[in-house]
Amino acid sequence: MKASAFFLSALTLLSAGALRAQPSFAGPVPSTAVVQSADQRRTEYLARVDEVQAWSAARVTPPGELITDMGLIASKLARHEDAELCSRSVIELMKEPGSGPFWMFPVVNIAFLGRDHLSLAAQKSIRDAWRTGMQIRGDTENHWAMYYTSLYLMAELYPNEPADSWYTGKSSSQNLAEARDYLVHWMDLATTVGQGEFNPTHYIGEYAIPMLFLSTWAKDDAMRARGHLKLDWLFADLAENTLNGVLHGANARTDDTSVIERWNALASFFSWICFGNTPPPANYGGWGIYFATVAKSYTVPEVIYRIATDRDGDFLQRDLKRTRRRWRNSDVLMAPIYKTSYTRRDYAVGSYQGGMADPIQTHVWDVTWAVADPRGVHNTMFSLHPMSSGYDMQTYFTELPDQMIKGVTKEGKASYDSPDKFLGGSRFEQVFQDLDTIIALYDIPPGTRFPHINGFLSKDLVNLTVDPSGWIFAQGGRAYLAYRPLAGFELQSSARIKSSWTGERADTGDKRLYSPHLKNGTIVQAASASEFKDFAAFQAAIRALPLEYALEPVPTVKFTTLRGKAVVCTYGAAPIVDSQVLDYTKWKLFEGPYLNAEKGSRKLTITHGRLERVLDFNTLTITDRVKPE
Amino acid sequence: MTKLKALFALLALLAGHACAAPAPKHNLFVVATINNNFVVGSKMVTLSGLFQRGPGDTYGHFGLNFPYIVSLAVDPREASVLYAASINGVLCSTDGGKTWRIGTSWDMTEPKDVFVDPHAPDHIYLALPDGIAVSRDRGATWPRREKGLPERGRYTQTIKVDRTRTGRVLAGCESGIYLTEDGAESWRRVFPTKTTVTDVRQSPHDAQLWLATTQNNGALVSRDGGLTWKKFDGVPSAEALYNVAFDTTNALRYAIGSWTYGVLTTEDGGRTWIDRNLGLPEEHCIFRVGIDPDTGRIYAAVYRDAVFTSDDFGRTWRKAGLEGSLVYNFIFVPQAAQ
Repeated sequence: MKASAFFLSALTLLSAGALRAQPSFAGPVPSTAVVQSADQRRTEYLARVDEVQAWSAARVTPPGELITDMGLIASKLARHEDAELCSRSVIELMKEPGSGPFWMFPVVNIAFLGRDHLSLAAQKSIRDAWRTGMQIRGDTENHWAMYYTSLYLMAELYPNEPADSWYTGKSSSQNLAEARDYLVHWMDLATTVGQGEFNPTHYIGEYAIPMLFLSTWAKDDAMRARGHLKLDWLFADLAENTLNGVLHGANARTDDTSVIERWNALASFFSWICFGNTPPPANYGGWGIYFATVAKSYTVPEVIYRIATDRDGDFLQRDLKRTRRRWRNSDVLMAPIYKTSYTRRDYAVGSYQGGMADPIQTHVWDVTWAVADPRGVHNTMFSLHPMSSGYDMQTYFTELPDQMIKGVTKEGKASYDSPDKFLGGSRFEQVFQDLDTIIALYDIPPGTRFPHINGFLSKDLVNLTVDPSGWIFAQGGRAYLAYRPLAGFELQSSARIKSSWTGERADTGDKRLYSPHLKNGTIVQAASASEFKDFAAFQAAIRALPLEYALEPVPTVKFTTLRGKAVVCTYGAAPIVDSQVLDYTKWKLFEGPYLNAEKGSRKLTITHGRLERVLDFNTLTITDRVKPE
Repeated sequence: MTKLKALFALLALLAGHACAAPAPKHNLFVVATINNNFVVGSKMVTLSGLFQRGPGDTYGHFGLNFPYIVSLAVDPREASVLYAASINGVLCSTDGGKTWRIGTSWDMTEPKDVFVDPHAPDHIYLALPDGIAVSRDRGATWPRREKGLPERGRYTQTIKVDRTRTGRVLAGCESGIYLTEDGAESWRRVFPTKTTVTDVRQSPHDAQLWLATTQNNGALVSRDGGLTWKKFDGVPSAEALYNVAFDTTNALRYAIGSWTYGVLTTEDGGRTWIDRNLGLPEEHCIFRVGIDPDTGRIYAAVYRDAVFTSDDFGRTWRKAGLEGSLVYNFIFVPQAAQ
């Protein structure tokens, strides 16, 4: 290369670097103003997609070295850049095929984006890797969604090929049929009795990305439609459960970070890219890069966008979900989960009842308050029994009883066997929610590992006061919060798990309410600051609420909520509200102002104002209409 | 190809070794994972799956590098026909592990055990977390055979065919020990349990004698072919027992492996038991025991530590390879089948 050419190239690179926009995860908080124009919404959406693609594609590879990051290759292919380097890199990467769905879907991404750009040799290397590398199917719902979507698309991409050309030992048509059967089965379950891994803070990507791939690349019209419907379904469920873009309330699965810093989750990437109302997590959450490479083929429906961004009042949503498969220790394979979400401008309260959705990473209830910039803020309050139990692991995993506790702490779930953890649920916890009141009761048998309750009291609470009445008062953002422990406790400093892999801890300034009593309970009542003259008035109102409770023989609470509901909750019995026994069996798949579906229906009606979209898996159709005034 | 060459080299070495010592009548296959905390999606930096015992304390890996294989069965007519219970379902190979086909579909996952009927080797029994499947066509198809199993409580950890009678099979499930005498056309419970039966084994000396281990019901013995069962008094039952092994060289010797209790042995047919953990690591969480049918040597797999062996039935131990491993199974295959 001549010196002048080198200089020009260097200058170009420098200029590109200088001109490169600040990524949104490091930029200011996006506006939460509703974008009214469809064209503008689309333009802004595409700009966000371009931002991710450009940021990802611009990540520097040392000169002369091949790319080892499949997200970078996918981004370059999406932008039609460096096809030759990508091809050589793919060939090298495919020499050692990965080991399961987390390898499969990035490769599918590259295979499809590279159809017209990668060299024939690179494409052949991908094809060969799907012959030689036995892929691990995994054991979770998200594993299988990725695995079978990937297998489906590759079998379509390479049809009519014999069994010995696939790692499965099955022909293209056999692979396609198996993958189709599973995907249809899974969608049937999710659209009749609910998703198992519902509202996951991170695993949403493991569903949204495969569904985007299906909706974009499946040749089969029906499967392409299924992908589109399920993607809309996922984003509608996300929109319903966000507060200014932050996923709040119960999660089938989350992690040590997201459970207290509620924004810091891949779900926030999807809120950002679809709704533009919260910053994305650092590096777009990693997996967001793959979504962005194909995201231009998707249009966020206006009705879903508005559910996330354009709310005109408080709303209560009740949904039906299901637990992970219970192999043992249960009368049912999948127990129903009854999920409640009450969302207001200043805060949201969410919970689920029905038993543990997942043995390790579930999050059963919380109050999450709105903040101007959620980054770094621990804007949540909740309590839990920190269960660590081989019995419970065996319920959900096909393993021998003893090694799981030891093993799982080394497999990305470092906090599982920690007594001070804030992640997880317990079969000794029963939760009731009415609007912005939570009553969580605990009846922990003697001898249980970790026989205590952990309450999470955030560093971001202000005016935290332990009141002589027994209530703990605090303010989070514009929300007033009252927390009532039903047994003795002490407040301890909290060092949260910083790394789920190494178990490294960091002092956060949060407090742990430690209550070492087997029969126990927590009542939380939230309210908007605007409802009261001042904080003292809120406290006075709470103190005045009728409350009786007993812990023996089992915890029981009689409480009149701030909203005037007379509630009786007894551990082991159905809650009673205003003298009516709550009957969870009547719950619908979705019921609320925005999302509605009958149990077993395979049909979701999404509504916002006069806008309506019906996702019908029976007919594989999407029907939009503007309802008459 | 490289792995196959290594396997052949290993077999050649074994053959050479055989010239210097009494020829072993069995090959030992070990199903193990050495995974450095592998999780689905991680890069595999170590070898896992199937190993074959070599000279000394060496083990040669063959077949897939796959961390979630838990059991292996070999067709007694043809040693190159293998069935492996894995997280993906049952894996079938007809070329000694060179290539594999996933025999089952999406509706069967994570089988825990696989066993070939020795008198009808086309019939293969599969223990599933949600029941039992049986192939009667050398693994081509795997219909469920669950009549008589309860709707819940059918989690099946172990399945073994009576060597004296085709189609007579015992299965260890969550809710007890189940027996079929018609090739799994129907099952009946012969012993109830509240937690999972972890192993059932038939004595190589007396076909009527069967042993079983359980999670919370202790160790069980049947002297009538599995029809009735009685608990061994000398074996603790509060914590789980993982498996049991017979000593082919001595009809009175059995060994039990347990995470909590380590290695338990009897040398008087189960009347008395003793823990044989002296010489094992202090944290002797035993995941599996096996007994070499040729020599009576005990193999004890200490969780993610190593395999330990004892030539004096547990009185002394030495570390004997597969360091860092989690051993799911020791499988001794008669060399006649090789």
